[in-house]
Amino acid sequence: MELLILVAVLLTVIAVAKVLRAKELVDSTKDPDGEPISPAEIKTNALGMLIFGITFLSAVVWMIVAWNKYILPTAASEHGADIDLLLNVTWALIGFVFFITHIFLFWFAYKYSHDSSRKAYWFPHDNRLEMLWTVVPAAVLILLITYGMSTWHDVMNQEEEEGAVRIEIVSEQFRWTARYAGDDKKLGEASFALYGKNSVGVATEVAMKDRIVECEKSIEILVKDSAAVEKLIAEDWNRGENLSEIKQSLKNYRANIRRINRLLGDFAVNPAKYIAGEDDQVINSDSIYLPKGRQVILKFRSKDVIHSAYLPHFRVQMNTVPGMTTNFTFKPIFTNEEMKIVANDEGKQFTGYILLCNKICGTSHYNMKLHVRVVEPEVYDKWIAGQTEFAEAFKQ
Amino acid sequence: MASGHEHHETFISKYIFSMDHKMIAKQFLITAIVMAVIGMLMSLLFRLQLAWPGTEFAFLNFILGDKWAPGGILDANMYMSLVTIHGTILVFFVLTGGLSGTFSNLLIPYQLGARDMASGLLNMLSFWLFLVSALIMVSSVFVETGAASGGWTVYPPLSALPQAMPGSGLGMTLWLVSMTIFIAGSLLGSLNYIVTILNLRTKGMTLTRMPLTIWTFLITAIIGVLSFPVLVSAALLLLFDRSLGTSFYLDSIYIGGQPLEQTGGSPILYEHLFWFLGHPEVYIILLPALGLISEVISTNSRKPIFGYRAMIISVCAIAFLSFIVWGHHMFMTGMSPFLGTVFTFTTLLIAIPSAVKVFNYLATIWKGNLRLSPGMLFALGMVSLFISGGLTGLILGDSALDINIHDTYFVVAHFHIVMGASAIFGMFAGVYHWFPRMYGRMMVSKLGFIHFWVTMIGVYGVFFPMHFVGLAGVPRRYYSNIEFEMFNEVQFMNPIITGFAFFAALGQLVFIFNFFFSIFKGRKSGQNPWGSNTLEWTAPVERIHGNWAGALPTVHRWPYDYSKPDYEEDFVPQTVPLKDGEEEGH
Repeated sequence: MELLILVAVLLTVIAVAKVLRAKELVDSTKDPDGEPISPAEIKTNALGMLIFGITFLSAVVWMIVAWNKYILPTAASEHGADIDLLLNVTWALIGFVFFITHIFLFWFAYKYSHDSSRKAYWFPHDNRLEMLWTVVPAAVLILLITYGMSTWHDVMNQEEEEGAVRIEIVSEQFRWTARYAGDDKKLGEASFALYGKNSVGVATEVAMKDRIVECEKSIEILVKDSAAVEKLIAEDWNRGENLSEIKQSLKNYRANIRRINRLLGDFAVNPAKYIAGEDDQVINSDSIYLPKGRQVILKFRSKDVIHSAYLPHFRVQMNTVPGMTTNFTFKPIFTNEEMKIVANDEGKQFTGYILLCNKICGTSHYNMKLHVRVVEPEVYDKWIAGQTEFAEAFKQ
Repeated sequence: MASGHEHHETFISKYIFSMDHKMIAKQFLITAIVMAVIGMLMSLLFRLQLAWPGTEFAFLNFILGDKWAPGGILDANMYMSLVTIHGTILVFFVLTGGLSGTFSNLLIPYQLGARDMASGLLNMLSFWLFLVSALIMVSSVFVETGAASGGWTVYPPLSALPQAMPGSGLGMTLWLVSMTIFIAGSLLGSLNYIVTILNLRTKGMTLTRMPLTIWTFLITAIIGVLSFPVLVSAALLLLFDRSLGTSFYLDSIYIGGQPLEQTGGSPILYEHLFWFLGHPEVYIILLPALGLISEVISTNSRKPIFGYRAMIISVCAIAFLSFIVWGHHMFMTGMSPFLGTVFTFTTLLIAIPSAVKVFNYLATIWKGNLRLSPGMLFALGMVSLFISGGLTGLILGDSALDINIHDTYFVVAHFHIVMGASAIFGMFAGVYHWFPRMYGRMMVSKLGFIHFWVTMIGVYGVFFPMHFVGLAGVPRRYYSNIEFEMFNEVQFMNPIITGFAFFAALGQLVFIFNFFFSIFKGRKSGQNPWGSNTLEWTAPVERIHGNWAGALPTVHRWPYDYSKPDYEEDFVPQTVPLKDGEEEGH
């Protein structure tokens, strides 16, 4: 491989040197005020523009036909069909303009190449033409914008349906964890103050109290560390240990205990939203199940940096942002098995639904995934019934 | 300012700390070429990884060492750093500093009939700040934890927390320092351009007799002055979050096994501030390139630019709209869907002035007399790229479609074609066209043709297939695309793309050779080699201090009287008075 590159570079350098040798001889006879580009050169380039134009446009057509099988298959969600239709309408418009303008561009470049016997046509402006090509694009765009905006509105503002499934997806470097709402169909309160062995920070009373103990333990260790390091520094001030990092950790944990105490205070006043978390089911697995034909309301949180939950087959994407919750609602319409058939009918491959990270999030960004299986509602009901509730799982 | 007097200059005052606009333009250009080569080499390294992930390249280990390429396989953190610095260098140091710095400096005094910029000192400072920031940016690659690696947009919290990834350590601090200095330099330059254009036009050079190049430089400078300061604030707040324990962008973060004390900020705030510059930035890059090709296309078509006034209005409309579309980069951040609707509306409106510009270029070459010089070929190439890349903007700017295309390779294809390659083509067109003005010599045209064709084929070969990679759902900024079974079937496109990237890179060697060879050995050019109307070609080839010996030229007409009926020659320079009863051309 390297050898090949090296040879290519060498050959280019030699070729360039040869061209220049010849060039210098020719140049010495040229007059500095003469035409800088010779008629023969213009002819060659004009032909080049024509050939490039034809080849380029043919290559584009070929790619559209031959590579169609690689692009994503039909949408596997209800709203996805609307998006795909809008996309196809936009493609038709783009394709039309792309081919027309390129044909003009390359044809004119060939047809009107320089000829000293001819003078260019004096045509500095034409108000009617300019009006035409301002108003027509404007009119077409207004239609496209209106269509796009109404699709966007429909997708983003879906009414909640009876029997909708609520799932919270929590992102962290470099994994996804899902929490299902449980029997009460409500996701309980959660807080970042509780992350630890409580992987998505479900705020039940037990979990909050447990976390305080956990933090106090950490503080105890840190205080010891800090004293040890201070002693070392007193003996030899030029030590490598980073005291300020330990002090910062202490601050972090102390602030966290105050935070949890505030949560407990809130719990005392309105406990319902905290108790709702007890029957939630946290899925510690690299795959989750979704029921076909039921609305899925995804709610996203992030533990550390911004990630983006992207489910390409469903035309679903939403960033997960630390400090705020985001959401996306959709309805899967094909099970994995059905999707395979749909894709095969289009000559495409389907290797399973996936949720992947689509916002740069660190070193292993390229490998942060969660498998998604869409199954018949009965299968889903059975699967979800088999998942452990949070309150129970946390006891162990 | 008196002209023609003896002006004693030492080597240092002439070539290094020069206050002459022509020299500063060359300094910008050569720095930009060096930066472009660095950026391009970085892209080749990460393209190798994408094409053949996990393959051992012994030379990678040789260049990068055991830490960044153990066993000849590019390390994931190094990959991220390369992607980040490649983007930063190309966007800011080549296409912002390099493009505007070179051509605004060269052409504003020349085409307006001024002796120099309004302030030579500010001009010099603007170059030196640019150079210092470039050096800091490049040196950040060599720090122990690696250069910034959160993508060129450096979104917090990833970029705010050194615990989040190695590149968010010292490398990130250097990135922010470099950008702040860069922006200071860029602002000094922009203010100088605006003042010069408004105050130092020669007699008769009214605003509507200015070449379109100057119009685009003026509008670009105004956009820069209004938007860059916002990025400085964003960068400073990020520096505070990183170093002083503030929390402008941080909230509810649990990292390195600890809940952070800092809460109450919002990462989305950063995104708003960043894109408030970030989107106008696209036009800071694109508009000067469009200005350059307007001039190159008209001159080499021997035909007036079609719809001069419509071109000016389009540029102003694009500039205005560019300030109210930034949210289209953030459709998927969870901001209110209603805001998404508004930004979709404003974004797609930009297609109208853009379409007008494209149609006007086509009308300009229609029935022209096209001299297909290297500059002209690159200008036509830019029109093609502007169409191809601009059209896919209709998909990305539509929030409903962005849901499934956002942050995939489709985006990479779109912006590389519409503002990366396209602006680079504009810059090449400018270099080939104004090289005689800069050095008094011509570039070797045959090499120029080779360069053009290799680049044209290479660019489309690299970026067109990326649309399909994106439509298959492959996200950008992935270190390797073979971790997901569903992406295996499009992996075959990556070696093709990388192959074209190397092919295009070889073509740039031809350009670099041609450029430096022609400075010393190129054929001597005449005073007005392209038969052009604008004022820079009335100045002596020798490029004297003060630009014109004796009085400054007087302007009598607009700059696009090419092939005007009743004139023998196919061009009428701006200095030629109107004949009796002759009407001005537009």
